[in-house]
Amino acid sequence: MDKPVKPDLQFAKEIIKAGGESLKKCYQCSTCTVVCQLSPDKAPFPRKEMLYAQWGMKEKLFNNPDIWLCHHCGDCTAYCPRGAKPGEVLGAVRKLMIQHYSPPKFLAKWVADPKYLLLLFLFPLLLFLGELAILGYFSGTEIPRGEGGVMAYSAFLPAVPWIDVPFMAIAAFAVICFYLGVKKYWLDLTAGVELKRKDIYNCIYETIKDILLHKKFQFCTSNKGRYSAHMLVLYAFIGLAITTGIAAFYEWVLHWPSPYPQTNIVKIIGNTSGIALLIGMFLVIVNRAKNSAQQGIGSYFDWFLITVIFGVGITGFMAQILRLAEVETLGYASYIVHLVFVFVLFAYAPHSKMAHMVYRATAMVFSKAAMREENIKKEEAA
Amino acid sequence: MHHNGSPNRILVIGGGFSGLTAGIEAAETGAEVIIVEKNPYLGGRVAQLNKYFPKICPPLCGLEINFRRIKVNPLINFYTMAEVESISGTPGDYTLKIKLNPRYVNENCTACNACTEACPVERDSDFNFGLNKTKAIYLPFEQAFPLRYVVDRNKCPKDCPAPCVDACKYNAIDLNMQAETINLNVNSIIVATGWKPYDAQKIDNLGFGKVKNVVTNMMFERIASKNGPTGGQIIRPSDGKPVEKVAFVQCAGSRDENHLPFCSYICCLASLKHTLYIKEQNPDAEVYIFYIDIRTPGRYEKFFNQVKEQSGVNLIKGKVASIEQDAESDDVVVVAENILNGEKIKQKVDMVVLATGMQPEGLEFKVPGLKYAVDGFVIDAEGIYSAGCAKNPMDVAGCGKDSTGAALKAIQIGVRR
Repeated sequence: MDKPVKPDLQFAKEIIKAGGESLKKCYQCSTCTVVCQLSPDKAPFPRKEMLYAQWGMKEKLFNNPDIWLCHHCGDCTAYCPRGAKPGEVLGAVRKLMIQHYSPPKFLAKWVADPKYLLLLFLFPLLLFLGELAILGYFSGTEIPRGEGGVMAYSAFLPAVPWIDVPFMAIAAFAVICFYLGVKKYWLDLTAGVELKRKDIYNCIYETIKDILLHKKFQFCTSNKGRYSAHMLVLYAFIGLAITTGIAAFYEWVLHWPSPYPQTNIVKIIGNTSGIALLIGMFLVIVNRAKNSAQQGIGSYFDWFLITVIFGVGITGFMAQILRLAEVETLGYASYIVHLVFVFVLFAYAPHSKMAHMVYRATAMVFSKAAMREENIKKEEAA
Repeated sequence: MHHNGSPNRILVIGGGFSGLTAGIEAAETGAEVIIVEKNPYLGGRVAQLNKYFPKICPPLCGLEINFRRIKVNPLINFYTMAEVESISGTPGDYTLKIKLNPRYVNENCTACNACTEACPVERDSDFNFGLNKTKAIYLPFEQAFPLRYVVDRNKCPKDCPAPCVDACKYNAIDLNMQAETINLNVNSIIVATGWKPYDAQKIDNLGFGKVKNVVTNMMFERIASKNGPTGGQIIRPSDGKPVEKVAFVQCAGSRDENHLPFCSYICCLASLKHTLYIKEQNPDAEVYIFYIDIRTPGRYEKFFNQVKEQSGVNLIKGKVASIEQDAESDDVVVVAENILNGEKIKQKVDMVVLATGMQPEGLEFKVPGLKYAVDGFVIDAEGIYSAGCAKNPMDVAGCGKDSTGAALKAIQIGVRR
């Protein structure tokens, strides 16, 4: 006989608090599982996850790739006869899952709690203001100008050490947090499971291909707008990563400090990506507002990331425009705020919703290795 | 007749099983009853059933008894094709305006069918939910009461030379008949406006109207009825193939806040009853009933157990949420998760029956002067009493009891005065 199930009501309450308010409304009809285009035939989701959530079965929820195979299209929520909003509940579970896996735990808690919002921003703000104080800008030192006497952020705050050191430090921090989190998650996923495919590298390659093509999003029926919005944001990030790479090359290899001419390749890629980011995020917000009645408007956790990414884009453009217009004080201020937003985005990536890219990708690799989605692949082929 | 000498008058809105029961019960205690019915016939939804609970017998026999009680009781008057236009007054003294829509056929009609034979146009049979056609002049169904033809004037072509009028030997057809309004004074009102099947097209993931051979449970009653479009042969609409595999989709639009938020009470029993219809014609047929919970309240549990034990009856816990046409045939594929083993099931069948629920008439069609709850059910007031499915989804036996109770409440108003 199976062991009797021990409900963990405390954890069920945590899910409710994390944005899964509606979870107790579920009466297990499994409409959600059938209308979900991403759900596999064997042990499909999210009906079983709704049951696990009601009983507070933490391990069943966390050691399960399905909460990440869900892309929150909202088809389940739209068709749910009870307003139980499985999409929102799974979103709440994902948030708790990130808190569970990404160290340090306190930081994950802070990112998820509006009480700590100011603190999260205050830390990088004080850091950069401290740098400015060291440079003497608050005690009368004149802010140097760039080559040819133009306003230049590289003269205001030279990349080495004032930018590169803190950002390389937080990048290292984020990578370590992600590494530890993913390692723990992978071990939990694979515990007692024999992977049917041994070619893990192929699984990773296929996952990356799926992500770049946004294959899963194409299946969403009730929220088609998400496909293009999310795709735009993804490619904007890729573009901005390339921009950063080229800029680093100029800086370190060519010893050519910014600003670069607007027609330079680095500016063209950067500005195009920036505009794509803003449009993409605008569409994300519009979609959420449009579908809020059907799907819920999302949680603080969702909006934290949306706001931070939007903030990065807006302050980035502001800093650039004000620099070109030689508006000094406001320009420098925008630049500092931009750095603060970028810091928040990267330093807390393992703990904010940004972590979805890593954990979802891990779940996708696992499900390929475990051949979890065979039938979906067949349908894709047909 | 009550103590001050004037008669106790009761108006019954709706001439279905509940309205008939309430009206007849009241009249048999000496009250004067007027029944107002929107359709051209009495009997309502029950008249459309093949068999009904609790004895699984043909309902026309039960209705016949009631029609007979009406015919022999001079205290009962009824109007078909009639609608209540307004209600005013207070308990014990109501004034109503009733609109009588023209039938275009008078009481001379002998139901000889000569007019129908002459009529050149066809219309979808509303009695058979569009499964077949009737002429524009037609008899609602063979055993209709009153047994009189009716004209669907909207379907008559403008330039029709009216061969029906020439064909009628009894001078029964008057195509110039006009609507009229009458005033009635009554002591109390019984509202027995009943229900209609929930519009299955609104459930966009269940394919009704798009996928061939997806029918509703009420359509299935007509298909199984001897006086129905197939003469009672259970065959599928697209190609007339006798069905060997049938899927029943429970809670199609019921218990669903996007559709009807309540349980319609009868659909589980109806699908189990339909299983018997199928098994009677084809004992080897496979029936798949997809359910959230099978609800057979009270003593109906026994019926559930009887049907469950039959061979070829497959009960699958999991709601069907997707219905598609088979790629190569007129077959239908229903998709659900079998919750008990946690696997999706894609079952190919000959025909799908959607167990659609009861939408109270009051949701879309409100009688002026009555109060309704948000879901369309009637709210009682002193002097105004709901009966049957206008109040709550219920089975026919429940309607009988509820209507008898409503009759007593209505009688009391006139007696107390």
